[in-house]
Amino acid sequence: MSTRTGAAQRPNGSTQGKICQFKLVLLGESAVGKSSLVLRFVKGQFHEYQESTIGAAFLTQTVCLDDTTVKFEIWDTAGQERYHSLAPMYYRGAQAAIVVYDITNQDTFGRAKTWVKELQRQASPTIVIALAGNKQDLANKRMVEYEEAQTYADENGLLFIETSAKTAMNVNDIFLAIVDELDENVEVPGPNSNKLSKFSLLNKTVGVLSKALFAKIVFPISINRKDSIISCDPSL
Amino acid sequence: MTIGLLNHPEMHFGAITFFAKQHKEDMCGSNGLPLTPNSIIIYGRAQMLKAIKSPYLCQYLDIIRGKHERTIVVSQYCGTPLSNIVENQDQSIDEIKHIVYQILQGLNELHTRNIVHRNLSTENILCQDNNVKLFNYGLYHLTDNGKLVSFPIIQLLYAAPEIYLDGIQHNHTNPKVDIWAVGMILAELVLHKRFWSTLKLGHRIRKVLSLLQSNTSVFERIAREHNCYEDYMKVPEDIKEIIEICLNINVDQRPTCGELLQKGVFNQQKTDKISEKKSLCEPFEIFTIHEFYHWWQLAGGDIFQELKKQGLIRSSPPILSLPQLVLIEGGLLGQDRNPATLFDPRIVEMPLASLYQRFENIPFTAFYPLIQIKSDIISRLEPPPYDATGLPLIIKERDPEYQFHRVILLRRLLHGYPFTRELIVREAEKDIPPLLRGEIWAALLHVKGDYKSHYMKIDKYSITPTDRQIEVDIPRCHQYNELLSSTDGHQKLKRILKAWVCKNSNYVYWQGLDSLTAPFLYLNFNDEAKAFACLSAFIPKYLHKFFLKDNSAVIEEYLAKFSQLIAFHDPVLANHLYEINFYPQLFAIPWFLTLFSHVFPLYKILHLWDKVLLGNSSYSLHIGLSVLTQLRDRLLNAGFNECILLFSDLPEVDIEKSVYLSTDTFKTTPTSITAREHENCEFQERDKYDISGVTLEDLKRERYPRISANDIVSLVRSNPEKMCMVDIRNMTQYNRCSVIGSINIPFSSVSFSDNNIENIGQHSQLLKETNNKVVVVIGDEETDMELFPTFLLKCNVKKVCVLHGGFNILLSVTPTILVSHSHNI
Repeated sequence: MSTRTGAAQRPNGSTQGKICQFKLVLLGESAVGKSSLVLRFVKGQFHEYQESTIGAAFLTQTVCLDDTTVKFEIWDTAGQERYHSLAPMYYRGAQAAIVVYDITNQDTFGRAKTWVKELQRQASPTIVIALAGNKQDLANKRMVEYEEAQTYADENGLLFIETSAKTAMNVNDIFLAIVDELDENVEVPGPNSNKLSKFSLLNKTVGVLSKALFAKIVFPISINRKDSIISCDPSL
Repeated sequence: MTIGLLNHPEMHFGAITFFAKQHKEDMCGSNGLPLTPNSIIIYGRAQMLKAIKSPYLCQYLDIIRGKHERTIVVSQYCGTPLSNIVENQDQSIDEIKHIVYQILQGLNELHTRNIVHRNLSTENILCQDNNVKLFNYGLYHLTDNGKLVSFPIIQLLYAAPEIYLDGIQHNHTNPKVDIWAVGMILAELVLHKRFWSTLKLGHRIRKVLSLLQSNTSVFERIAREHNCYEDYMKVPEDIKEIIEICLNINVDQRPTCGELLQKGVFNQQKTDKISEKKSLCEPFEIFTIHEFYHWWQLAGGDIFQELKKQGLIRSSPPILSLPQLVLIEGGLLGQDRNPATLFDPRIVEMPLASLYQRFENIPFTAFYPLIQIKSDIISRLEPPPYDATGLPLIIKERDPEYQFHRVILLRRLLHGYPFTRELIVREAEKDIPPLLRGEIWAALLHVKGDYKSHYMKIDKYSITPTDRQIEVDIPRCHQYNELLSSTDGHQKLKRILKAWVCKNSNYVYWQGLDSLTAPFLYLNFNDEAKAFACLSAFIPKYLHKFFLKDNSAVIEEYLAKFSQLIAFHDPVLANHLYEINFYPQLFAIPWFLTLFSHVFPLYKILHLWDKVLLGNSSYSLHIGLSVLTQLRDRLLNAGFNECILLFSDLPEVDIEKSVYLSTDTFKTTPTSITAREHENCEFQERDKYDISGVTLEDLKRERYPRISANDIVSLVRSNPEKMCMVDIRNMTQYNRCSVIGSINIPFSSVSFSDNNIENIGQHSQLLKETNNKVVVVIGDEETDMELFPTFLLKCNVKKVCVLHGGFNILLSVTPTILVSHSHNI
């Protein structure tokens, strides 16, 4: 929705590709492989003993697709239930979320569903949610059936894919699938009318968010981001 | 003279080496993680052996891992193997009894710890002046009953028949197998004969098994086979009886070590009080063999090199180890077994000459340092034994002489703990010798008393809802470290965490507690209870309430204080971070929640915590500041994204620099600057002149810290030149009564429209160049207490703070620090 488009406009008015910037957040039970997915996507690495994430970690990755340069700003959150209260600070204002579970552990799938519900209720209404069944390399120990997750994803309008951070299977794909989905959201005909709705939507989001913990502190960040997004938009 | 003390007959050690069994390629455990390498499991299992101290056992000193699962075991090695003197006809019966008695004592020590030797032979019993020590007794234990190595652990001649009958792979954890071996050894000794020494392997086994069919006495049969029936007849009855009951084919009828030691045959030995043979015994022990080994290493000793020199470690060209055929599935065929994977019984004694040489000039008195010098005259005459001041810590830690003096001194002080605690603190302020760090930390944390039974009583096994979290966190916690990644390490960490959760029902397990526990476990690997006691003492002092179920108020307060501390010391950086909305919430939670133990590798944490333990709970704020200071230039030139990226992947931080910087700011910052509502009042007493009652909202809004009246009073009295007090009340009030040395800048006279220090007027020069003075803003309820200090901060004035409670709080201070100017006008 609030994809930043700009910077590439030349003086003569012709555009040479666009630059999009997405804020993306990873959520899910601890030890399902959130940090590993990010590490695989951003650095192409995999650490067997990836240490646990406390609070959250921030990483970025820039990908070039045809005529578009996409910059991901990725917030990788702590999985432990107790850190839950911090989560809104990270998914607030995010354009996309990857909710991760571990296919060898049914409980983590349940937790993923809770996250999806929370995002649908609390996050930006236009957020793109992808469900990732991670640790596909351990498919022989599978406890969550592919069909079960696929059905759930379909019912809730989520992107769904099984991944393996260890073997790199589908890792890039899930991020790129999100870009596609976001692109569709963005490219709406009728620029002027659309901008207005975008603006009002933003305000609405802000209202919901200020109730959450840390709202006071983080609030300016989202404002700031949106300011910059709006001001960067060449057609505004 | 000096060498005399070091050159003690017991201060000798040697090493053996073997390969642990290698896992097949790409093997994963049930959690998807790779299997722990066997050499790491061995490494963990062997640690407890290092803690066994007995005059009848060679002490284990070190386990070293090499390439390809190589394991090196270093242990005390003194004397000659018993096998050398078996055939010595001069051995009297009394001497033999004396030897066997000591063997049994050693075995008893092991059996009470549930360790089965399983490897006993005359080769690994060492004699030195009638003193006997068992050697290499832990091999079966540390290889998990032989499961972790690909060679059998067996002494053909001395192995009990049930070992052969059940097969080598069978786990024999019944200590009775060792009793059979004792019987054989005793029989050899009294007959002065090495049994079946000329036979080939297969024949020997057949001979041992043939004993099973023996209808008469096993001992008699062996004697007849060796044509020693006459000698056999000469053996005293009580000895014969001992041999007979030891060589009982029926396992259950064999006696235990304890039963054997009670036998009348050893009455003489019992009264001889052999147990007093320890010449260096606690608590008067000047140094232990562990320390001796440590110095040897510092003085250039290298186990690896010595083994290489002796040909025990040989590298062969990799091409020779290539298989002839590799299947697509990964199977290997046609690979010769590397003979090195078999057991190599050779022992390499380590040369000590270089250590003796290095320590040649150490005077004898250095072994008995004065620990407390009350007379100034003596203390001035007494030069420091070895001056290393000014050397970097890393050099000091590797300097053999310096470590010698430090260890000798601190070992002495530790013997006197808890009475010597103050002296330990004073020494710890200089530096902490790595070898004694675990004990010194415990002393700094006031760990004392019966912490062991306390720990034992805690339930560490019942299933709790936290288990899943603990279980997924442990295999990710400092796994680069051999101890913490070993199976024993995982189990210990789990027990400690569960014990902590069970013991602290008001708190909960937050991710990060695992990292916080890791340094304590690492330092006290053989004393789980002490690790737990340290953790239990550490948290209330440094992380009070951080592990509450709802800790957000505590953490937010801490983070707000962190922001204020940055503003206090580095307004330029603080203003920059403020402008780009870069808040500590986004990066510093793991810093403070785990006191950096989740952020840095262990070796850095150790040095950092050496200082933390000498400070209070505010110290980690200063560490945080020191990290920012090190990254200052990069942060100042970076926007939000670059900043946050910098901290997601924290670049190399020079820990010694951090320690230096944080100690410096810690010492120069008035304590109330970092005072917090949620501090543990047990460690921080407060009175009406201290800061209290500040709400979290106020705290988060105020970008500069408050200072307490107590701090003002003591600063005005002790260091008035370090103070710049700005009284912002109106001139009338100021003239009527004000703090000695304060200046008056009436609040209403300043325009805050832009951040220009000149707006202040005549005193602007003074505030432009404060020369690191603490700038205290003093107002009262009629003045706005926020605009002015915020203005100063925005103008990049350093060390700005506001007097908590305003001017009026100073009115009741006695003796007063106030003066009146009115009569001057």
